[in-house]
Amino acid sequence: MKTPTAIIRLAAAIVTLTAVSCHELPDYDNSNTGSFEALWTEFDNHYCFFREKGIDWQEVHDRYAPQVNDKLGRQSFFRVMEAMLDELRDGHVNLSAPFATSYYREWWSDYPQNFDARIIRQYYFNFNYSSLGEVEYGLLRQNIGYIRWHSFAQNLGHGNIDYILAAFVMSPALIIDIRDNSGGDLTYADNFASHFVTSTRTAGYICHKTGPGHDEFSEPYPIEIKPVTAGHWTWTKPVILLTNRSTFSAANYFTALMKSLPQVTQVGATTGGGAGMPYSLELPNGWGVRFSACPIYDTEMNCTEFGIEPDPRHAVDLDPADALQGRDTILDFAISMIENNECK
Amino acid sequence: MKQLLAILLTLSAAITAAAGDTDSTLLRPVHAAYTVEAGSAHLADTYLTPLRYSGWSASLRYSRMQATRFNPRDWVLRMDFAADVSRTLNPVRNATMWYWGLDFTAALMRRVWHRGRFSAMVGPDIDLTLGALYSPRNGNNPVAAKAAVTVGVAGQMSYAARIGRIPVTLLWQPALPVTGVFFSPDYGQLYYEIYLGERSGLARAAWWGNHFRLDNLIAADIRLGGTSLRIGYRLDYLSQSASHITSRTITHAAVIGITGEWLSVNPRRASADPRIISPL
Repeated sequence: MKTPTAIIRLAAAIVTLTAVSCHELPDYDNSNTGSFEALWTEFDNHYCFFREKGIDWQEVHDRYAPQVNDKLGRQSFFRVMEAMLDELRDGHVNLSAPFATSYYREWWSDYPQNFDARIIRQYYFNFNYSSLGEVEYGLLRQNIGYIRWHSFAQNLGHGNIDYILAAFVMSPALIIDIRDNSGGDLTYADNFASHFVTSTRTAGYICHKTGPGHDEFSEPYPIEIKPVTAGHWTWTKPVILLTNRSTFSAANYFTALMKSLPQVTQVGATTGGGAGMPYSLELPNGWGVRFSACPIYDTEMNCTEFGIEPDPRHAVDLDPADALQGRDTILDFAISMIENNECK
Repeated sequence: MKQLLAILLTLSAAITAAAGDTDSTLLRPVHAAYTVEAGSAHLADTYLTPLRYSGWSASLRYSRMQATRFNPRDWVLRMDFAADVSRTLNPVRNATMWYWGLDFTAALMRRVWHRGRFSAMVGPDIDLTLGALYSPRNGNNPVAAKAAVTVGVAGQMSYAARIGRIPVTLLWQPALPVTGVFFSPDYGQLYYEIYLGERSGLARAAWWGNHFRLDNLIAADIRLGGTSLRIGYRLDYLSQSASHITSRTITHAAVIGITGEWLSVNPRRASADPRIISPL
């Protein structure tokens, strides 16, 4: 074989190999219909709660596809896509365009709010409480510790949490208020919860999609929580956890985790759910989407996407008449439980 | 998987052993190339986005070739170290994706052809790649880590030409991984789960059906005194598919740098060699 021939053959072989080894990529066009199909397909492949919610996604496609055409203005197109995503009834689903972010609100707007921070700040603490990051805390008149964690979007170090718990060393019980806590980072919730466990335990389970099929999921993997290291405060006395419908996502996970502990009682209203860890993708027109992709289950392998209910004996709503008088019905119920030794 | 690791370790040991055999009667200069590469990048990774991104790429690369201590007339050891960065935009140019990576390759090549001005070498190589694609707009899935250890075939063809009175060496250096292992999360697996300890199945056996890479350098070394100016073009193509996740990285880059041949002198031996006068 002559050298030039060998080189030509080698080059041809390499070009052929490159061509045949090209793995397929999605190919959506940058039009309204292309973006609609991309949105529908990516959700079809990745969204994790079709079965739990009994959603026929193909039927949803067939209903909304005729409403989309390439002459539709951006705002009108956005409204159609937003309406389609609302069919999922999921607070973790967002469509982000330069002019708006879609957001399914009914998971909390259809329920009483059951919380007014001003009532507690003014009528229970006379504005004398401590703030640390996302946390407000203080000692209630009844010598009960009160911690309100607004959001798990920001963490506190174990040393910070030690200071907070140390402030209640003489209290017989602790109230942790996560009403209106819309979530954040699961590891921050774990970080706080580690001060309430004395041994490693399973906090819940997580799965992920293993393929585009609606039922293709991995085996549940345990989320383990370890006690905080020696030298830090561990709270083993009774805890009452206050929740409302706006307790969502990482706070919903925190509720499931804490509720499984022997010293914790949930009081208030059913949480808002949000049990799918969100995943982000984008559409050909440049808009972003976020959706639930990895379902998280509680310690009993229950899906908490629809919220976590307190025991019926501890289900309490905030009475508007009480609120007008500066009273928080749910907080008062918790205080009364502690004073009457009715908590765990 | 264990067999693959055994192959990788054996090849690695062979390359090390090759460099360790001794024949002290010959001088074996190092042919080194320091290059800067810049050009276009085309990135896609369905773990991060269904869209294809395009932008620029840049690399710094050090490449060294040296005849082996054993049978130096026939065997050459080539090593390449590269640091790569790419910045790309999505088709509507409202989101960015970055790639950062490090790459190391060692190839043990045998001269299979040497006639007149033309020579060709071919042999096995081992390649280690570490990198990450980063999409800042994503929340819980902003990064797609890239890691691979592969063995394959590397080659070099060169032709000693002249442009007027200036010697020019024309080079073609292709490298084609054949098998190995590479990292890929499962289809919808978040790195949070990996952080929790769910690490089963992250290492995948590589073959051309799921991991195809071709690194091609075409260059001309223009001799300028004792040093040469290298100009050229590199195509680095990687297409990967695992767990329904497809990833593709293509860079086209212009190459510029310097090359030359240097002798490494062992200071202990140098003092006994009267031909060597150290400037130190």
